[in-house]
Amino acid sequence: MGTIVLNQVRKSFGGHEVIKGADIRIEDGQFAVFVGPSGCGKSTLLRMIAGLEDISGGEFLLDGKVMNDVSPEQRNIAMVFQSYALYPHMTVAENIGFSLDLKKTPKAEIKRRVGEIAERLQLTPYLNRKPSALSGGQRQRVAIGRAIIKEPSVILFDEPLSNLDAALRVQMRAELQELHRSTGATIIYVTHDQVEAMTLADQIVVLKDGQVMQTNDPIGLYKEPENTFVAQFIGSPKMNLFPAKVESVAGDVVRIRTDAGWPIDLPAIEGLRAGPVQLGIRPESLTLAAPHEPAEIETRTVLSERLGMETYISFETGGEPGIARVPGDHSLPSGTPIRLAVDPSACHIFDNDGRAIRSQSA
Amino acid sequence: MALSKTSTKAEAGRYGVLIVLSIYCLMPFVWLLVAAFDTNAGLFLETPDSVSLNNFYRVFAEEDGLRWLINSLIVCGGATLIVMLLSGFGGYALSRTNAWWKRPFLYSIILIRVIPPPALIVPLYQVMLALNNGMRWLVLQVVPREHMRDVMQIVGFIDGYLGLILLLATMHLPLALWIMKTYFDSVSPEYEEAAVMDGATFGQRLRRVLLPLAMPGLAASGLFAFIACWDDFLVPLTFVSSPELRMLPIGIFSAFLRANEIDYGLLAAIAIVYTAPAIIAFVLARRFLVQTFGGGLKG
Ligand SMILES: Nc1ncnc2c1ncn2[C@@H]1O[C@H](COP(=O)(O)OP(=O)(O)O)[C@@H](O)[C@H]1O
Ligand SMILES: [Mg+2]
Repeated sequence: MGTIVLNQVRKSFGGHEVIKGADIRIEDGQFAVFVGPSGCGKSTLLRMIAGLEDISGGEFLLDGKVMNDVSPEQRNIAMVFQSYALYPHMTVAENIGFSLDLKKTPKAEIKRRVGEIAERLQLTPYLNRKPSALSGGQRQRVAIGRAIIKEPSVILFDEPLSNLDAALRVQMRAELQELHRSTGATIIYVTHDQVEAMTLADQIVVLKDGQVMQTNDPIGLYKEPENTFVAQFIGSPKMNLFPAKVESVAGDVVRIRTDAGWPIDLPAIEGLRAGPVQLGIRPESLTLAAPHEPAEIETRTVLSERLGMETYISFETGGEPGIARVPGDHSLPSGTPIRLAVDPSACHIFDNDGRAIRSQSA
Repeated sequence: MALSKTSTKAEAGRYGVLIVLSIYCLMPFVWLLVAAFDTNAGLFLETPDSVSLNNFYRVFAEEDGLRWLINSLIVCGGATLIVMLLSGFGGYALSRTNAWWKRPFLYSIILIRVIPPPALIVPLYQVMLALNNGMRWLVLQVVPREHMRDVMQIVGFIDGYLGLILLLATMHLPLALWIMKTYFDSVSPEYEEAAVMDGATFGQRLRRVLLPLAMPGLAASGLFAFIACWDDFLVPLTFVSSPELRMLPIGIFSAFLRANEIDYGLLAAIAIVYTAPAIIAFVLARRFLVQTFGGGLKG
C-alpha cells in the first residue's frame, strides 16, 4: 500500500521558502512524475517524502497516517539517488543486500534474495564486481536493486536518467515501466525533462518555484494546460503565445486579433469578454497553407530547421519569433513569405495573468 | 615521427647524467647501510672487512636503544591515534557544516602551523609547567608519595608520556584537519543518505559506510602526523629530562656527542633503527592511499 497525500507542505531553508504549500495526492500503485525546471524544489519535495529533510509546515500522509516525524527507515520508502550513491567499497551483491544485512537477516536468506533481484535485473554475472567496474546502465540497475530488495511500498527516483546517453535513456525508460508493473509499488519520479515525464507518468505534477502549477495525466496536461507555464513547459517545441485582443463575440464564434494583426475565429468560450488576452497555439497546430487555401497567418520565415521528416519554421510575429512544426521537408530561406493555417479547435486562450480561459464543458 | 626520433647517443647521455645524479643522491643511504653492518666503520665509504650485526647488538645491549625505540613508538603512536581520531571527526564536521565560523576557523588553525615551533617553545613550556603542577597535585591526592615519580612519568605534562603525546598531537592536528576536511568534501553526502534509507543506525553508518570511505584520507593524515612526530627533535629535547623517557632522535644525538671519538658504526645502526618504523608506516599507509573509490557516483 502506498497512497501519498501532501497537505499544504512547506519547506524553508533558513528563512528562504523553497516549497510554498504543495497539495499533491498520489494513489496507490501510480507512477507519478514531478517535473519542473531546475531549482524549482523537486528534489527537496522528494527528500521530504523520503524523510531526509524535515517538513517545515503542512502534513505528509502515507496510507492515511501522518508521517512528518517518522524516521526514514520506518516509512517503508526506498530511494534511488540522483548520483546512485552506490557504496564504492562494496561489491554489487553487498550493495544490494546491505539493507538486509543491517537488519541481521540470515546470510543464506540474503544470498537468495540478492540472487533473485540480480536475476530480475540481469546483474547475475556482475555480483562480485565493484561499482567502478560497471557501465552506467548497470550501476543504475544496482541502485534499483538496492531499492526494491526492501520491498518498499513507495520508490522515489531523483533524475535517475540524467547523464545517461540517449539510447540508454530510452532503454532504461522501458525497464522502469516494467519495474513499475512487476513491483506494483507507488513510484514518484523526479525529472526536469518533460519528454521523460510524458512517456513514463500516470500522473504528472508540474512544479515551478516551489508551487504546484497543475496536476493531471500526460494527455490532460497537453490538451488542457491551466496556465501559460504548463502550456509552454509541456510539448516541444514550446507553445506559441501571441498577445491578442478579443474583437467580437458573435453567437458561437469569437474573433480574436493578435497584436501582429492576424484575425482568428474560434468557437465561443463561456466567460470570454472583449479585451486583451494571450492566444496559445502549439507549433504542431499550424500548417503551411497552399496559395489557394485560406490561412490566418501571413508572415515571413526567420529560420527553418530541417529534420527530414518534419520542419520547424520560425516566423516573424513582431515580437519573439513564433514557431510552426510542419510535416515533410521544406526548404524556406530566411525571409520567404509564408501563409500558415490555424486549427481553431486546438487554440488556447489565457488571460493576462496567464490563467486558461476555457468552457466548463470542454 | 621525425620529431620523436632521438639518437641513441643523446639517449645514453641523458641516462648517464641521471645515473650519476642518482648515485650522488643515494650515496648517504648506501654509506648508512654499509656502515651499520661494519664493525670498523669510518667516515668514508669502504667495503667492510666483515659483515656483522655487532653494531645493532651494541645499540640494544650497550646503549638503551630498545627503550628509546619503545618510547618513540608509544609517544608517536599515541599522538598519531589522537590526530586520526580528532581529524576524522573534526574534518567530517568541518566539511559538512555551513557555519559562519568555518573559514575563519580553518585559517586560524593553519596559522598555528605557520609559526615556527622554536618561537613557541618558551610560552609552551610555561603552559605545560602549569598543567604539570596541576597534575602533580591531582596525583598526590590518590597516589602514595613513593610511587609519585613513576606515575608522573606516565601522566605528567613535563617529562611524562601524556604531555608529549598531547603536545605532538596538538602540533600536528591542524594539517590533518585540513586534509580530512578536504577529503570529506569529495565524499558525497548521498552515500550516508543512501545508508539512512537502507536503515543504518548512526553507528552502522559510521562503521560500515563512512569509515571505509574515509580510509584513504585517514591514512594520509595519519602518515603525515606519524612522520612529523617521528622526526620531531625539539619537543623530546625540551620536554624530556629522565633517561627512562628518552626518545630515539635524542638517543642518536647523545651518542653522537658523548664519545671523544665518533663511533660511526654505532651511529649508523641507530639511524637504521630510527628509519625503519617510518618506512614501515609508509608501507602500511600506502595500501590505503592508493585506494580509489570510483564508480559509486554517476557521471
Ligand atoms: N540544503 C539546502 N540549503 C539551502 N538551500 C537549499 C538546500 N537544498 C536546496 N536548496 C534550495 O532549494 C531550491 C530547490 O532545490 P532543489 O529541490 O534541489 O531543486 P530541483 O531538484 O528542482 O532542481 C534551490 O533554490 C536550492 O538552492
Ligand atoms: Mg534536483
